[in-house]
Amino acid sequence: MSRAARLGAFIVATLLILAVGVFIIGSREYIFGSTYQLKAQFDNVAGLAAGADVQVGGVHSGTVRSIALPHQPGEKVTVFMDLDKATHEIIKQDSLASIETEGLLGNQYLAISFGSAGQGEVRNGDTIASLPPLQMSELLKKTSGILDSSQQAIQNATLATAHLNSVSAKIDSGQGTVGALVNDKVMYNNLEQTTAALHDTMLQAQTGVTDFQENMEALKHNFFLSGYFKKRGYEDSAGLAANKIGGLPQGTPVKTFTYPAKQLFGGRDSAKLKDQKSLNAGGEFLAQNQFGFAVVVASTGMEGDAQKDLVLTEARAMVVREYLVENFGFDDSQLKTLGMGKQAGTNLDADWGSIQILIFPAGTQIPADKPASASSSPKTQADSPVQAAAAPTQRP
Amino acid sequence: MSDREFTSVAGMSPPLPEQRAVPMPSVLSSATGLAGGFFEWFGNLGIFSWQVLRAAVTPPFEWRELIRQLDDVGSKSLPLVALAGAAIGAVLSMEARSSLTRFGAKSMLPSAIVYSVVLEMGPIITGLVVSGRVGAGIGAELASMKVTEQIDAIEASAINPYRLLAATRILACILMLPLLTLAADACGVLMGWLTQTLAEPQSLRQFIDNGFRGATFNDLLPPTFKTAVFGLIIGLIACFQGMRTRGGAEGVGRAATNSVVLASLFVILADVVLVKFILVVFP
Repeated sequence: MSRAARLGAFIVATLLILAVGVFIIGSREYIFGSTYQLKAQFDNVAGLAAGADVQVGGVHSGTVRSIALPHQPGEKVTVFMDLDKATHEIIKQDSLASIETEGLLGNQYLAISFGSAGQGEVRNGDTIASLPPLQMSELLKKTSGILDSSQQAIQNATLATAHLNSVSAKIDSGQGTVGALVNDKVMYNNLEQTTAALHDTMLQAQTGVTDFQENMEALKHNFFLSGYFKKRGYEDSAGLAANKIGGLPQGTPVKTFTYPAKQLFGGRDSAKLKDQKSLNAGGEFLAQNQFGFAVVVASTGMEGDAQKDLVLTEARAMVVREYLVENFGFDDSQLKTLGMGKQAGTNLDADWGSIQILIFPAGTQIPADKPASASSSPKTQADSPVQAAAAPTQRP
Repeated sequence: MSDREFTSVAGMSPPLPEQRAVPMPSVLSSATGLAGGFFEWFGNLGIFSWQVLRAAVTPPFEWRELIRQLDDVGSKSLPLVALAGAAIGAVLSMEARSSLTRFGAKSMLPSAIVYSVVLEMGPIITGLVVSGRVGAGIGAELASMKVTEQIDAIEASAINPYRLLAATRILACILMLPLLTLAADACGVLMGWLTQTLAEPQSLRQFIDNGFRGATFNDLLPPTFKTAVFGLIIGLIACFQGMRTRGGAEGVGRAATNSVVLASLFVILADVVLVKFILVVFP
C-alpha cells in the first residue's frame, strides 16, 4: 500500500468515526430532523440543564435548547425546547410540561403530557402550561410530617394497648362483672338455664297468641257477637287506612255525586250499607269514563263524639269504596277514601252526615296519606298551632 | 561546558581558605544560572516558534514532506493509539463496573465509560502515546541530522530547514492528533462495550444509546479538537529539541529523551488549562 493510500485510508476512517459521533449526538439533539420550538415557564427548574431530554409520553422526542433566568423578580424561569415535528399532532394547547427525575437521583428531564383531542394545535414558539417540579427536599419535608403524625398514632395505640392489657388482666383475675362472667362457671350455667327457660316461655307465649287470635276470629262469627259486626258494617278495623288520603287535592272535581248518609246506611252510627243500589249511578260513571282518580268523602253532622265520628266516616268511605270496587270494573288503585269526621254547616244532623264521590280529571296530584292514623290525627292538629306559635319566635 | 571550565579553573585556584567563601555565591550563581537557563530555553523556543511560523505561512509549501510526515505521525501511530484506547476502554469498564455496582448505579456504566473516554481518557492517552512515539522519533531524527550537519547542508542549498523539517512535522502533529483521538475514542468505547457485554450481555445499540444519553456536541468536539494543541506542543518541542542539539551521539540521545519528557509534561499541563478553558467557553 502506498504512503498516500495508507494516509487516505487513515483519514477517511477517523473522519468516519467523527461523523458517527456527530450523528449519534446530533440525532439526540434533533439537529438534523425538522423541529419546532416550545416554551414552558417554571418558578424553579430543579436543576434541569440545557441539553436535557424532553419526553412525550415517555418517549425521547426533543431536547431542552436553553434555560433563561427572568429579568425581574416576579417573573418565571423560561425553558426553551426543540421538539420533533412528529409530536406536533399529540401536543395540544392544554398539554402540561413537568420536570421529572430519572429514578431517585438520576438526571432531570422535561415531560410533556398528551393534549386533549378537541384542543387547538400548538404553534412554533408557543408557551405551554407547566406543573411545579417535585423536589426531594419538599418530599422529605412531607415524609417527616407523616412520620411525626404516625409516631403520635403509635403512641396512642401503645396507650390503648396498655389500657386493654390492664382490662384483660382484671378480667383474667376475675375482677368485675365481666371477670366474674368469664371466670365463674356457676353464673354462666345460671345464665344459660335462664336463657333456655326464656326461650321456652317465648314459644309458649307465641302459641298462646295464635290461639287467642283464632278464638277472637271465631268470636266475631259467633251467633252472639256477629250482630255487632253486622250492625257496624265491617269486620276488620285494620282496612280503614288502606286507601286513605290525607286531604282533598287542589283543583275542582269533574263530577260530584252526593248522597245523604241516612239514605245509604242502616243507622246513625253504623257503616252498614242499606240502599247500595243508589250508588250505582256513581259506579257506572267511574266504569265508563276516563278519570285521574276519585275520592269517596264521608262526613257526619255535629251530633255525637268527634273521635267516634271520625272513625265512623272513615269506615263509611271504606265500605262505599269496597262496594264500588266489587261491583264496577275500573282501576281500583285510583279510588281513594277520605273520612272527614264532623263537618259543621254542610250536614244536617237529621241526615246523619253525607257521602260524596268526587271525580278528578287526569293529571291531578293524589295527596299522600298523613303518616298518623285516624286515632292520632287530632293530636297532629293539636301540634300544628304549637308549631305556628313557635315559628315567629325563631324569626329575628 | 561551563561546568567543566569552572572545575578546571577551580583546580588551579589558591588554597582552601579562600575557597570557603565561595559556596554561597556558587549556589547563588548556579541557581541564577538555572533560572537563566530556564528563561533562555523559553526565549529560544519563542524565537524558534516565530521562525517556524514565518516559514510555514510563506510559500513555497513542502507538500510532499508534509504528506510523508502526516503518514508518519498519523497512520503509523494508529495501531499504537488504537491499542491504548482499547486498553483504556476495557480497564475503565472493569473498574467502573465494580465501583458502580457498589453504589447501585450499574445502569450508569455506559455513560461512565463513554463520557470518561470521550471527555478525557481518549485525548490524554493519545497525547501521551503520540508524544512518546512521535516526540522521540522527531527529536532523534532532527538531532542526528543536526549533529551530522545535514541541516546546515539543507540551509546551504537555499532551502529553509524550518519550512522543510520543522513546519511540516508540527503541522502534521496538529492535524493528526484529533484524528488519532477519534480512533482512540472509538476503540475505547467499543472495547468498553465488549468488556461489559462479556460480563453482562447488552446490545451495542443499547450501550451507545445509554452512553450518549444527554450528550451534546460540547461533550464531543471540544475535547477532541483540544488535542490539536497537544499536537502543536509535541511537534514544536520535539523539533526544537532536535534542532538545537549539540554534541555527538550523546546529544542525539539527550534530545530524544528531552523531547519525550518535555512534550509529555507540557501536554499534561496544557490539558489542565484546556479543560478549564473548555468548561468556561463551552458550558
